[in-house]
Amino acid sequence: MTVVAGPPARITLVGRIDDSAGLGPIIATLPPGPVVIDTAGVTFVNSIGMRDWIRFLRALREPTHDHGIPTLENVADVLMTQMNLLAEVRGTLRIASFHAQYVCNTCGREDIPVIDAIAHAAQLADLIAPPSPCPECRSAMELADFPERYLSIFRP
Amino acid sequence: MQPQATSREKLVVAHPDRKAQRALQRLVGATLCPVEVVADLDALKRSVDATTIVVIDGALALSQAALHELPAQAWIAVPGEGSQAMDGGMVDQLLVAGWQHIVAHPMPILAEELLATVQKLIRADAFGLEKYVAWGAEVRSYVLADARERDTAVAALARDVVSVGLPERVGSLVSVIADELIANALYAAPVDAKGARFRSAEPRDAARPLAAHEGVTVRWATDARYLAIEVRDRWGTLAPATISGRLASSAKLATADAGMGLPLAYACCNQFVINVAPRAMTEVIALLDVRYKPTELGRSASFHTFVGTAP
Repeated sequence: MTVVAGPPARITLVGRIDDSAGLGPIIATLPPGPVVIDTAGVTFVNSIGMRDWIRFLRALREPTHDHGIPTLENVADVLMTQMNLLAEVRGTLRIASFHAQYVCNTCGREDIPVIDAIAHAAQLADLIAPPSPCPECRSAMELADFPERYLSIFRP
Repeated sequence: MQPQATSREKLVVAHPDRKAQRALQRLVGATLCPVEVVADLDALKRSVDATTIVVIDGALALSQAALHELPAQAWIAVPGEGSQAMDGGMVDQLLVAGWQHIVAHPMPILAEELLATVQKLIRADAFGLEKYVAWGAEVRSYVLADARERDTAVAALARDVVSVGLPERVGSLVSVIADELIANALYAAPVDAKGARFRSAEPRDAARPLAAHEGVTVRWATDARYLAIEVRDRWGTLAPATISGRLASSAKLATADAGMGLPLAYACCNQFVINVAPRAMTEVIALLDVRYKPTELGRSASFHTFVGTAP
């Protein structure tokens, strides 16, 4: 995990968010002002880690910390999957970009491209996954999950 | 030549559609038990007794959601029409109503899942992932000797799964499922003489040698149709009747502060099976269908609970 003071302050998380992640103490190291969190390197999240992550996001939003709504960049697929399960997450953070499981119906390749959530905000709000080209055969890949399950976090 | 004796269980198929009736009758008829077919709830109620295994259309089941409380050996809700998965909202409503057998997926998964479920009930033989994978599939197992071996077991399992050619996506799901099921076996399952879950507040990263009665076994197998992950503990304290409502996505996880382990494992798989021998063994089997794209399957996972005798 690295923290760059900013502004905006940038937190980069890598590896596992699990029982031993201990995200809470990061907040004390942050200067006031907006926060951007990059989780592209997160490889695993379990239920205890998810609880820690949600409490961390909640604490960032507390007025006393003066960070406002956190912005997430390059959200890891494992985090997207689990955050979409939690009703309380919707509307409480800003996602600038995220990784999503895509599959190519032509050659069968599975990939995890980064989706620009700002450029595709209108589509995502309608639960439409933006197209992504297959790195192998260049055909259009499609989201490998139900949009209403994987993209519900973008629902207004 | 005398035919081999068959079981005395009675199967009742309740479905309003004649074509679906025929398909389901043929399917559960493979058990060689007598199968009665009915089209509505009145006829169903007249047919059911404590020995009956009922296979019922999901919509018909929901029209009287407490139906499953009537005496029967088991009530199994199935998708309404053969080629369509059960709607996710319907699965949720059945879970909330306390249904213990919900088949969410269409044919051909419906056939495989329903036959395995019915035979487990008829034979009173609940335990073991072998019932879900083809005979030739090799089963690999890990026995945890210490609570700290959870991470090692999960990592080994994920590595093994990917090494047989399954995609990283499946390896990632397997990691989450195995981690949650093992954590449940290590920290939620143990109860003391007063029924208190005395390990629940224990630090999850602390070493703790596991005595024989605290042993946790993880097994997995794949036959290129399913990947099955099985986690067993020797406590048998999971209460199946209380689990289903916690898995429903509508009830789910309004907040991350609620217990998320089993709902998360359920959300990551396509079929979630809980086998319990009270005070002796709990076995949770999570099945991932690796044949189809996730969007070709039911949006919600199937769910089954069985209460039986430990092997």
